[in-house]
Amino acid sequence: MAELLLDSKIRVWVFLPIVVITFLVGVVRHYVSILLSSKKKVELQQVQDSQVIIRSRSLREHGNYIPKQSFLMRRHFFNSEESGYFKTQKRVAVNQNPMTDPSMMTDMLKGNVTNVLPTIVIGGWINWMFSGFVTTKVPFPLTLRFKPMLQRGIELLSLDAAWVSSASWYFLNVFGLRSIYTLVLGENNAADQARHLQDQMSGAAMAMPPDPKAAFKAEWEALEICEHHWALANIENEILGLAGPFADSMYHQNKVE
Amino acid sequence: MVIGRVKTKVEKSGEIVAYSEIAVRNNASVVEYCRTSMAALSGGTAGLLGITGFYGFGFYIFAVVGLWLLILLKAGSNWKKYFISRRMLLTNGFFGSLFVSFENITLMFVMWFTLKALFYYMYVK
Repeated sequence: MAELLLDSKIRVWVFLPIVVITFLVGVVRHYVSILLSSKKKVELQQVQDSQVIIRSRSLREHGNYIPKQSFLMRRHFFNSEESGYFKTQKRVAVNQNPMTDPSMMTDMLKGNVTNVLPTIVIGGWINWMFSGFVTTKVPFPLTLRFKPMLQRGIELLSLDAAWVSSASWYFLNVFGLRSIYTLVLGENNAADQARHLQDQMSGAAMAMPPDPKAAFKAEWEALEICEHHWALANIENEILGLAGPFADSMYHQNKVE
Repeated sequence: MVIGRVKTKVEKSGEIVAYSEIAVRNNASVVEYCRTSMAALSGGTAGLLGITGFYGFGFYIFAVVGLWLLILLKAGSNWKKYFISRRMLLTNGFFGSLFVSFENITLMFVMWFTLKALFYYMYVK
């Protein structure tokens, strides 16, 4: 097949603009989403509830490391019939539909505005503005199956499958530049997961139980049936090296009960 | 829902090792940055050297393995302090990982792969 040569103006006015536009749109979108993101307001009551539940859970998991009396004391604080926290605190069962919650709605709207809308608008605009150009060629042979993927917008049977059309070049950029964003925008962008992690660290379950009443009841039950096994009974001998650590006196996640 | 859950693993010797989740993530993201840069640089190199066809992908695999070896060299003999497993460090690069999936990195390699064609022989002077 004869070698195909392209006009170098295509490089300047189609190929490079697509790369630059895709990249800059990604950056702008990142900063707009930072601007729009609203900090979730948290009620004092809800924070208190979630902290209490975390304390209770921690007591259940690690209670074996404190003496029995301390364990019972703490459990009494939560579970006592007359004065226990879980028993005396009456919470109104909140049962709200997320659709009717206005803050939820605006959050969804913002997500759409920053993610879906630019994709449609910019994608459509690029398709319209730069339609029908052959922009570049991947330096390896491809089978005919790749033609619809790489040559969107150009239905030309005789064109070699390695050539890439402008619309497909745009999509290639959208996906290929994602890793560049993490490089350029750094942690804040890679953040979707890191941010969740932060929430777990600082807010300690800022995502409070939607219904504290039910959560309290469940936690009360779990704590009620929780037994105390003193884990450090043999600790003097272990420390002195007289006996190795017993498997059941050690806490780790993979432990089989 | 656990806060700062400690990841543990039982060694062959019966010893129990605890990992810090945050540190593991941080190390993974650092490796990810290296990998992204590596993909861009190696793609550009392959393009500029004029490697075409499947040799280009051979070069890509060479770059991935090379980066792996370099990271291990950097970590030195106490790599266990930084990574959970050596093999995972390599295969994560091939089969997607924490932040950026493998396809994205490969796509980026391909994008840079076209670099030489772009400036050298594809267009009319």
